[in-house]
Amino acid sequence: MANAMLHQTVGTLQLLSNSGIHCQVGNNSVRLLPRDLKVELGFSKRGSNSFGEKKFSVIQASASLTSVFDPVLSPSNKGPHESLKKSNEAALILIRHGESLWNEKNLFTGCVDVPLTKKGVEEAIEAGKRISNIPVDMIFTSALIRAQMTAMLAMTQHRRKKVPIIMHNENEQARLWSQIHSEDTIKQSIPVVAAWQLNERMYGELQGLNKQETADRFGKEKVHEWRRSYDIPPPNGESLEMCAQRAVAYFKDEIEPQLISGKNVMIAAHGNSLRSIIMYLDELTSQEVISLELSTGIPMLYIFKEGKFMRRGSPIAPTEAGVYAYTRRLAQYRQKLDETLN
Amino acid sequence: MANAMLHQTVGTFQLLGNSGTRCEIRNNSVKLIPRGFEVEVGLSKRKIYSSREWKLGVIRASASQTSVVDPVLAPSNNGTRESPTKSNEAALILIRHGESLWNEKNLFTGCVDVPLTKKGVEEAIEAGRRISNIPVDMIYTSALIRAQMTAMLAMTQHRRKKVPIIMHNESEQAKAWSQIYSEETIKQSIPVIAAWQLNERMYGELQGLNKQETAERFGKEKVHEWRRSYDIPPSNGESLEMCAQRAVAYFRDNIEPQLQSGKSVMIAAHGNSLRSIIMYLDKLTSQEVISLELSTGIPMLYIFKEDNFIRRGSPVAPTETGVYAYTRGLARYRQKLDEMLH
Repeated sequence: MANAMLHQTVGTLQLLSNSGIHCQVGNNSVRLLPRDLKVELGFSKRGSNSFGEKKFSVIQASASLTSVFDPVLSPSNKGPHESLKKSNEAALILIRHGESLWNEKNLFTGCVDVPLTKKGVEEAIEAGKRISNIPVDMIFTSALIRAQMTAMLAMTQHRRKKVPIIMHNENEQARLWSQIHSEDTIKQSIPVVAAWQLNERMYGELQGLNKQETADRFGKEKVHEWRRSYDIPPPNGESLEMCAQRAVAYFKDEIEPQLISGKNVMIAAHGNSLRSIIMYLDELTSQEVISLELSTGIPMLYIFKEGKFMRRGSPIAPTEAGVYAYTRRLAQYRQKLDETLN
Repeated sequence: MANAMLHQTVGTFQLLGNSGTRCEIRNNSVKLIPRGFEVEVGLSKRKIYSSREWKLGVIRASASQTSVVDPVLAPSNNGTRESPTKSNEAALILIRHGESLWNEKNLFTGCVDVPLTKKGVEEAIEAGRRISNIPVDMIYTSALIRAQMTAMLAMTQHRRKKVPIIMHNESEQAKAWSQIYSEETIKQSIPVIAAWQLNERMYGELQGLNKQETAERFGKEKVHEWRRSYDIPPSNGESLEMCAQRAVAYFRDNIEPQLQSGKSVMIAAHGNSLRSIIMYLDKLTSQEVISLELSTGIPMLYIFKEDNFIRRGSPVAPTETGVYAYTRGLARYRQKLDEMLH
């Protein structure tokens, strides 16, 4: 019975696989759509790939589900919900904040705490609409207002019943003063943790300067080098490597355990801290991460399952280009990875 | 010549004075509308007052200016531009944040860090439109996100060239990381300071409880007493008196010096911390402050001049009621004060 169901599922996979990518599917039951998540299967929209790319992602996701499903617990015995809890799936949403007042003025921002423009506010609200159906149990933001506002504005659009509450642990009084004295209310809360480790890359002596000033002060080539290299920091600043080191360490120590325990997490942060985390999630090389550009205000969804991160692209992804822009080289690298997958 | 100018001005006062309130105006040069501000002279809209109240406000303001202008520095000698700087006038804007997610759910919030609802976001943007023409040199907020977001959202509407920048002094690293390296850019910045002393009154063991829970846990009368008294705190919480003590102390130590140096200041905070400050600005009694209700999302403007705080009501005040709601008792008290003014 289970096998009959399987057969159909496997049949579907094979059909899809006619886009030219091979997939081995072991003799296990496969679930295609996690029921609890109500996720539109997002596309990783990459400029250089055709429509066949869409089906590819689906196959990829299902294929990785096969190895983890216990043959005893076939769909005919238990409802789909149970299996989900057992397989400990969790959603991970990454949102890069939108336009800030210094973006508008073209000034190096880094860790200077500059707020959003009107446009940045709209981007955050738009992002919120896209994730309004994805469960969120915990929120992590950087210590900078533009990321915090992005998270809180996005959550005004969320169809949650739960209320985001920002945690205060900076000192004993802050902790005490922010205490909630109702168990029910605590259960209806989504803790929001602000962490400097998720801050934008610190740009040292470039912070606050415009293009002209930096060229005058340091010379064009030097500045270009700092922006584009992986491990060369500007004076008194961080290299991308240093940023990645503290962002990924924080992710591994604080965020991943939440995902492992089945909690759905949203991270609202910055270009460099988020691509550092993506470098870890997607196992990219330093060369690849330099070319990686994450669109502002467009949420990226990952499914975390059994220690693996599966990129699901952007929920309710629009059809315009640049949603999650990869470079051509990166796309080709990925294709190779998938061919070697099984 | 100066006298002739004066005469006309004085003439205007007398006409207006026919509303039934007497004003003495000595023979000094008087400036009616501070030029540097481009402020619509706001109305303190009180339900029981007619449009004559507006003129009363104007007269009162001018009257308090009479004693301070040096007769030597008559307008005919200096351009009128000089005088605002010389007389050290500064604008003070108070904004109470709008609806939060727990307001919506009717839970005691206090110092729990709950963000704004969609409506609260709109209120903040609306408040911003009203103050878009009033200069702001420094911003103070509480340590809670709903006040900080209110300030930043309001400022997205401001017709400033300057950019609000949130100051970070919580640690040596935070300070070092948020440094700006361009003098030009610093000059174009509006420092934003977050202070716990401007937080909402801390409600102790009531925080997170709804009306039902509090009645069950403490009894209806006790809760009513805590809410309405001046000096009785809820368990492990603050009385209004305690809240006022730390809020006003902060205002006097940190904000007033800014105003004295001519800087225009905006404060985005909460019902209880703001009315504590208003109690200080308007010299209210504890009885009066209990009855004082500050509308959410409607900015209140004061002019600070020669150590006096002159209430100007709400900029571009709309005609609907409740803009700045006074109780009847409070309004009568104020009328008495004005009659006693000279």
